[in-house]
This record gives sequence, structure tokens and C-alpha cells, in this order.
Amino acid sequence: MNLLETFRTGLDAVLTHRLRSVLTVLGITIGIAAVILTVGLGEGAQQQVGSEISALGSNLLTVTPGSATSSTGIRGGIGTASTLTVGDAAALASKVVAPDINAVAPATSVQETLVAGTQNWTTTVVGTDPAWLTVRGRSMAEGRFLVAQDLASRADVVVLGATTAQELFGVRDPVGQTVDVAGRPLTVIGVLQPVGSSSAASTAANPDDQAVLPLTTASALLFSGASRNAVSQILVQATSAATLSAAYQETDAELLNLHRVATPAQADFTITSEQQVLSTATSVDRTLTVLLGGIAGISLVVGGIGVMNIMLVSVTERIREIGLRKALGATPRVIRRQFLVEASVLGTVGGVLGALLGIAGALVLPHLISNPIAVSPAAAAAAVAVAVALGVAFGVYPADRAARLEPIDALRTE
Amino acid sequence: MSDEGPAAPDLRSDETAEVVVDRTAPHPIVGVPVIEVAGVWKTYRSGSLEVDALRGVDLCVDRGEYVAVMGPSGSGKSTLMHILGCLDVPTAGTFRLAGDDVRSMSEEDLAQVRNRRIGFVFQQFNLLATLSAWRNVELPLLYAGIERAERRRRSLASLERVGLADRVDHRPGELSGGQQQRVAMARALVTDPDLILADEPTGNLDSVSAGDVLALLADLHRSGRTVVLITHDTEVAAAADRVVRIRDGRILAGAPVGAREVR
Ligand SMILES: Nc1ncnc2c1ncn2[C@@H]1O[C@H](COP(=O)(O)OP(=O)(O)O)[C@@H](O)[C@H]1O
Ligand SMILES: [Mg+2]
Repeated sequence: MNLLETFRTGLDAVLTHRLRSVLTVLGITIGIAAVILTVGLGEGAQQQVGSEISALGSNLLTVTPGSATSSTGIRGGIGTASTLTVGDAAALASKVVAPDINAVAPATSVQETLVAGTQNWTTTVVGTDPAWLTVRGRSMAEGRFLVAQDLASRADVVVLGATTAQELFGVRDPVGQTVDVAGRPLTVIGVLQPVGSSSAASTAANPDDQAVLPLTTASALLFSGASRNAVSQILVQATSAATLSAAYQETDAELLNLHRVATPAQADFTITSEQQVLSTATSVDRTLTVLLGGIAGISLVVGGIGVMNIMLVSVTERIREIGLRKALGATPRVIRRQFLVEASVLGTVGGVLGALLGIAGALVLPHLISNPIAVSPAAAAAAVAVAVALGVAFGVYPADRAARLEPIDALRTE
Repeated sequence: MSDEGPAAPDLRSDETAEVVVDRTAPHPIVGVPVIEVAGVWKTYRSGSLEVDALRGVDLCVDRGEYVAVMGPSGSGKSTLMHILGCLDVPTAGTFRLAGDDVRSMSEEDLAQVRNRRIGFVFQQFNLLATLSAWRNVELPLLYAGIERAERRRRSLASLERVGLADRVDHRPGELSGGQQQRVAMARALVTDPDLILADEPTGNLDSVSAGDVLALLADLHRSGRTVVLITHDTEVAAAADRVVRIRDGRILAGAPVGAREVR
């Protein structure tokens, strides 16, 4: 009896017990779809974080005051001590000191309520200099950004994020309008091009909701208590992603020098790169993917056990049929193959349906849960292969039982 | 010998006749019995309980004989038939099928012997309910590795021979008991075996259907096959040339052709 005939006979049996076959297939289908979706969710999250962070500029370094490595509490945590100054930023901006640094922007931010006529809106107010636009990789939707003259003259001007402008002015053109910040009227000189809402994966606040002032204006207005020259962070942009680590070392060396710190371990500042944020975020996602994938994998094994269960029931129920086939000349090998074919047909159908269901889910679900799901053809093919293997693996034992039945015992059963 | 068979002679075509020659080739000695049972015991064990179903059976059936094995229920008839059909092996004693000792055969050999050389007819018909008549009949050919078109051709010829040419696509559930048993007989003769083993083939049938079945067996016998008919019914046994009586696992008497049992 050749393979084609064995296949026909196995398929016949699957089609004869239609409801039972459908239910068995369902177990595999759900398992495969679950694996494809969970792995796809993890992949999608990783791709999203990656593209978001590269949009932020992967060649960006952020210097913050304080030491992240200190556990003694002698120097404060990040951001508590204002050891960074405008002077530090100016020194780093020098091409001689740091040739791998493209641009440097000192920045200080605080939450403030902005008032435009009868509209109130609380947002992040950032005091910085003209380099901020380059370093943050932003552009203007309307009007102009800060210029050096604005800083020198402590001009009463403000640039708004798109969301902020919308909240304060609605459909009116904000450029030329007046916004009160801490009681001082500031003229809106421009609106930033929106970058789109950020997902939970991004650590920064909504980049479209902020107000940007000249650092000098902001210091006088909002940070009068602290040293006028202190800043809460310095943003450093390397000339390219390739020179990021060189820029890191130049920044580190220059600041240690300026702050007269002898050993790097004693540094009163911390430098972080977006790359670090990226790898942390992706590693978290990867852990989650592995976990969810594991759970989905278990459901797949349960589906496989379902196949085994049904095949065993099938063998028991068809003892007479098996006996008769043996009496008519079927060898144990032929019987074993017939049952293996049945099991693998169940596995294959379940796998293909599961892959289709998973792909359909990957297309439909993102509209409902706002998470992207990435399904690669390779992953889908692998899932189908796993399902077939599962069917065969869990079919081996029942098939063996069937093959070893004595024809006479099988025939005698009523 | 095809002129001896009154019904559809197409099964006895030249090619199948060749196969018969082929099969007997290793044993050209005329007179080697098809069935040679000597001192066969069969003991069933279930837990601590032992049942001796056969207690030293001797039986010899020559090629072309029509033998009835008759005895009351529980006398060991079916057990004997299972041994003759290579479905089971004796606990002790020897069984030679056309001169070959069954004990020396592997499981694969036995499957092949059942497939090519023996045709079974059971009391319960043993048809597969999900398959149509011709698909049931083709099963032995399927396991013989014969190609589909040929299987269908031979199955239809076989069904025609038992008078069911117009029922080939019916499932067993759509056929009467007598028709089902005829399908089973078509299946038994589709491989053109030397030996037909029928275990109470009329046990579940009305007298008309039983008559049909016995007529078919007689017909098969006339066309040269060895037939062993198992029954508890004297009238049924009377159809055979020779009657072997069995009781409590022992053969009581073997009567030659013409010596009819009277009880
Ligand atoms: N599988 C078995 N296990 C135990 N005892 C059996 C088995 N098969 C048959 N027997 C016993 O063997 C004896 C002969 O049975 P069987 O050959 O079926 O008789 P018959 O066909 O003549 O009615 C009976 O006593 C029966 O109970
Ligand atoms: Mg019986």
C-alpha cells in the first residue's frame, strides 16, 4: 500500500468523524494563533520602540547633574544637585575640545500654567538656546525658533508645541498672540512641527506639548531661586551614530576637567545615551515576549495532547476496524502509518488554520488595541511546521497501539 | 476449470489463473494438503483463569475440498477458524498451511498470507460502515498494493458475481443482512484466494439469504477453491462434502464424502 493510498485512507477517517476532527483541530488552531500573535506583539513592540528612539536621534547624549552610581547619598541622585551650568554647555560646544560633538543645548524645564485670554493650560516649559531645535531633531511648522539675539536680550518670546498651541488658541493662528507665563506676557513667535504622539515606550513627555523659551528669560522668570547659570540637563548631539562613543568620552573628559573631579567614579554628573534607553526597553520587551510566547507554547502542547487523546479514543473505538483491516492483510506498518497520517492531517490543518487566524488577528487587532503586531512569513511557516510535528509526535503512541493490536482480539470485540 | 463455474467466469481470467500457479509453485507435490493441523491446543488465559478452547485437534483438508466444521456453541469452532486463518497461533501443536509451518512466519508474512491466500466470511459480516460496497470489497486489493483503477474493476466484477452489480455505491447500512453478507463474500473472493473460511456465515440471516450464501459457497467450491464452513446447524453442514464434528475442543469424527451426519 503506497503513501498516497495511506494518505487517502487517513484523510477518509478524518472526514468521517467530522465534528471530532474539527474540535481537535480547534485546539491546535488556537495554540498556533496564540503563539503567532504573542510573538508578533513582542516583535511589533520592539520594532516600535526602535523606530521611536531612532526618531529621537540615536546619536543623542543627555548629561544630567548628580551621580547615578552613588549609593552613599553623599551626592544627590540624578537632577537633585545643580552642578551643570551654561558654561559647561558652552565648553562642550567648542569644536577644538570636542570634535565629535555636532551641537549642544543646555536646557532647564519646569511645569507651569500658561494663560492665553481665558484659556489655561499646564505644560512643560523648557528654557534653552537655539541649538535645541537641531539637537532634538525638530522643525518649525510656523513662525521661527529662538535665535541668539533672543537669549542675549532676554526677549519675552515663546515657541509652542503643536498640542499646546491647539489647547491655548484653538483654530486661531497663535503666532503674534500673547501668552502669560508666571504673570509675564510672552509673544508667541513660532509653533513646532508635531512629531506624533508618543507611546508608553517613550520615556520623554509628549514632545508636542511643551513651551520653549530663551534660557535667560526662563531663568529670570522661573528659576530665580537657583543659580542663574545652572541647568537641569545638557543635550549633546554627536556628529553621527558612529561617533557616539567618541562624543561620550569627550563629554565625560571635558566635564570631569571643568568640574575638577580627579576620578571618574566621583563624577557629579551622569551621561546617558538613547541607545541605553533603547536596549533597556527592548530587553524588557524581549522578556515579555518570551514569557507570553511560553504561555502560548503551553497552550500548543495542550492542543497536541488533545490530538493524542482523540487518536487514542479513535483507536479504541475502531478496534474492530483495525482488526478487520489486519485480517484482510494490513501489516502493522500500514496501520501505524494510517494513524500517523490521521494525526498529522489534524496537525497540519490546525497549523494552517492557526497561521491564517494569527495573520488575520495581526491585521485586525492593532485597530482595537493600538499595539502593532509584526508577523513574518518565516514565523508563520515555522508555526505550521511545529503543528505538523506536534500532530506526528502525539500521534506516535496511539498509532503504535493500533499497530500492535492482535487482529483476533480486535475482531472479537463487540 | 472456468467452464465448471456457472456464474460470471471473469474472475477466473488467465492472469488470475497464473497467480494460482505462481502461489503453488514452491509446493509442486500433488497431494500436499491445504490445511494440516496436528495436535493443536489453544489455551486462553485471562488472569488466573485458563480455558482450553482446543484440546489436541487433528485435521487435514485437501485442495479443492468442501468441509464443514460442526459443533455446538462454545465448542471451539471460531478458535479453530482463527488458527486456520492465521489470525491466531496455537498454544501447542502444529499448523501447516499448504505445507508451510505458520510458526516460522513473521507477522508480515502472515499478513500477506491472509491477504493473498485466504478469504474470510464472518457471522457479523464485518463491513466498514463508512465505506460503500465496492470500497469495502477493494480493501484486500488495497493492502495487496494494486492500483486504483484495477481495484475498482476487480471489485465491481466480484460484486457482479455475488449479484450486487446494482448496489456498488451503497453503504452497508443501506443494504439488507443478506446483501451485506454477499458484499462480504465479494470481498473474500476478490483476491481470488485458494481457501475460503466462513465462520457461521448464515448465522445472522433469514433462510432465503442463507440459501444464497450457501449457493455461492458451493459455486466457489465448484470453481476449484477449498472451502471450510463453520456452523452449528446440521442442515447448513449438509451443504459440504465432508462434515467434521467438534465438541469441547476435540474432533469427534470425520466422515468421508457422502457419509452424512444424522443426529
Ligand atoms: N479470548 C478468549 N478468552 C478466553 N476464553 C475464550 C476466548 N475466546 C474464546 N474463549 C472460550 O473458548 C471456548 C471456545 O470458544 P469459540 O471458539 O468462540 O467457540 P464457538 O465458536 O464454537 O462458539 C469458549 O468456552 C469460549 O468461552
Ligand atoms: Mg463462534
